[in-house]
Amino acid sequence: MTTTERETPAGLAPEAKHIRKAEKVRKDKRPPAILYILILLLSVFFIGPFLWLILAALKTPAEWASFPIQVLPDKAQWNNFVEAVTQMDFVAYTANSLFLATTYSVLITISSATVGFGFARLRAPGKKALFLVLLSTMMIPQILTLLPTYVLFSQIGLVNTYWPWILWGLAASPYMVFLFRQFFSSLPRELEDAAIMDGAGWLRIFVQIFLPLSRPVLITSFLLSFTWTWGDYIGPALLLDTDHTTLAVAITAWYQDPNGNTIPTVQAAAAVLYILPVLSIFFFAQRYFIRSTVSSGVKG
Amino acid sequence: MARKWSRYPKKAFYAFVGPWVIGFVLLTALPMVFGLLVSLTNFDGSSPRFKWVGLDNYVELFSDGEAWMALLRTLLFTAIVVPLTIGGSLGLAMIINRRLRALGLWRTLFFLPSVVPVVAMAIMWKLVFNRDSGILNAILGVVGIQPIAWLLDPTAFYALVILMLWGLGAGMIIMLAALQGVPAELEEAATIDGAGRWSVFRHVTVPMISPILFFQVITGVIAALQVFIQPLLLTSSAGISKVSGVPDSNNLYMVQVYKEFFLSNRFGYGSAMLWVFFLIILGLTLLFLRSSQSWVYYEVDTEAEKEGATR
Repeated sequence: MTTTERETPAGLAPEAKHIRKAEKVRKDKRPPAILYILILLLSVFFIGPFLWLILAALKTPAEWASFPIQVLPDKAQWNNFVEAVTQMDFVAYTANSLFLATTYSVLITISSATVGFGFARLRAPGKKALFLVLLSTMMIPQILTLLPTYVLFSQIGLVNTYWPWILWGLAASPYMVFLFRQFFSSLPRELEDAAIMDGAGWLRIFVQIFLPLSRPVLITSFLLSFTWTWGDYIGPALLLDTDHTTLAVAITAWYQDPNGNTIPTVQAAAAVLYILPVLSIFFFAQRYFIRSTVSSGVKG
Repeated sequence: MARKWSRYPKKAFYAFVGPWVIGFVLLTALPMVFGLLVSLTNFDGSSPRFKWVGLDNYVELFSDGEAWMALLRTLLFTAIVVPLTIGGSLGLAMIINRRLRALGLWRTLFFLPSVVPVVAMAIMWKLVFNRDSGILNAILGVVGIQPIAWLLDPTAFYALVILMLWGLGAGMIIMLAALQGVPAELEEAATIDGAGRWSVFRHVTVPMISPILFFQVITGVIAALQVFIQPLLLTSSAGISKVSGVPDSNNLYMVQVYKEFFLSNRFGYGSAMLWVFFLIILGLTLLFLRSSQSWVYYEVDTEAEKEGATR
């Protein structure tokens, strides 16, 4: 509990604290058994597809296609995973995905922290208007700008390079800026006052005082943008050719038999490998995901 | 000292916020204006010999039956998915808000799907929806329902809705936080005054969480209107290269735009479709914002807090 308190600074997610507090003081009756039956049914809905995917990844094509269905494979076909990795250059696509996701996440985290700091701690004419613009860009559907961006980038030769992601990364994301602004706004004024007395510039104050304090937000921002980029399909599908593309695109297009039909068992195995990093990040860092979900949705 | 305070931060503010401003101008505003210009031409994406056609694309769009159908379908899809998602996530949040055993486990299980990448989601659900080998028809078969071709017309529409509902765990977490922000004393007081469960929910809980409900409705509508990667991946056999394989019932507006762009190479026409869609979304958002005054309840001290936060 104490570590959580320390790592959950007031402004980032007071809601997360609410949850904890409320869990302690809630005094309603123990829920009835029927509620547990409902929860079990819901769990089947939310977890079932994962299990079915894993089962498919362990079947032979014949077992998968058999009718009526065969739920369990006679013998687990681990070979599907070998096929998934060898039928295409799985390692190269993973490397592309990793490179793209890491580069983008590092850049977006740094740039968003910088912009968030500006909005939280500094003042100048036009700040309110700019912040309003920032908030409204969160409302512009990404795809509406992506298609013209694709046309534009193909005209200036940025297609099939990773430049678009570097540019997007440098430009900060409104969502992350908002996260950082909320956090930096919550810190006391005294933090910078002494440093200003000593004649420190704002860059130094930001880098040496505020950045180190924002470790939890930095981690949140990095993890979220990493999983987004890892999971993004449309960006790489539009902007990258088969050599440069990411795992997300590659696993939809490969794994075909000589007739051009997708082999579902091998593709399922590839999908399992593909979501493994995301799921492990999620399990290890659940609170970062939950916290950012909460603070993004409760801004009202 | 005083001089420093008044002058220095100004320049500093612009320097700190600069990256986003430049990015916004170059990567959001410029593409949109560029798209607007393209929409006034018959550009096909590659040939340099395109010409200015004025408003022709917009005029054509007005009498484009397929586009209208796609738009209506998208509105229907939104009208179904948004209430289901919001009601569902509120319902889940209310369940999770009880003193359950293994609470953390259930919360994780329900939230988990919303972090799954869309590609994996599509591959998974294709396996579940498979007519002959899918688990869904097998389960339905137990109660005597004949196999359903989930990924073809007309059921593909429902398959898509189910796929969307699978990810409502994120909404659940937000609703949970909202519910727990409702002061317990208020609900207790209402109960003491003789209000039943439903009445407390209707007259105390809902008004108290209405700002968050409202925010969820707006973002939910915007998200549902632009859905297109899910139907593409769910119902075409080899990713986006086979846009044409998407059944009519999954031909949402953005899918139609995508077809115009990449099947017919009509970049000009597609851009016009995008701009019209942008205006529709903008209009709907403003309409919601207008209407919110009548049903969203803001606490007075929340306003004060906001002022404080903006400084």
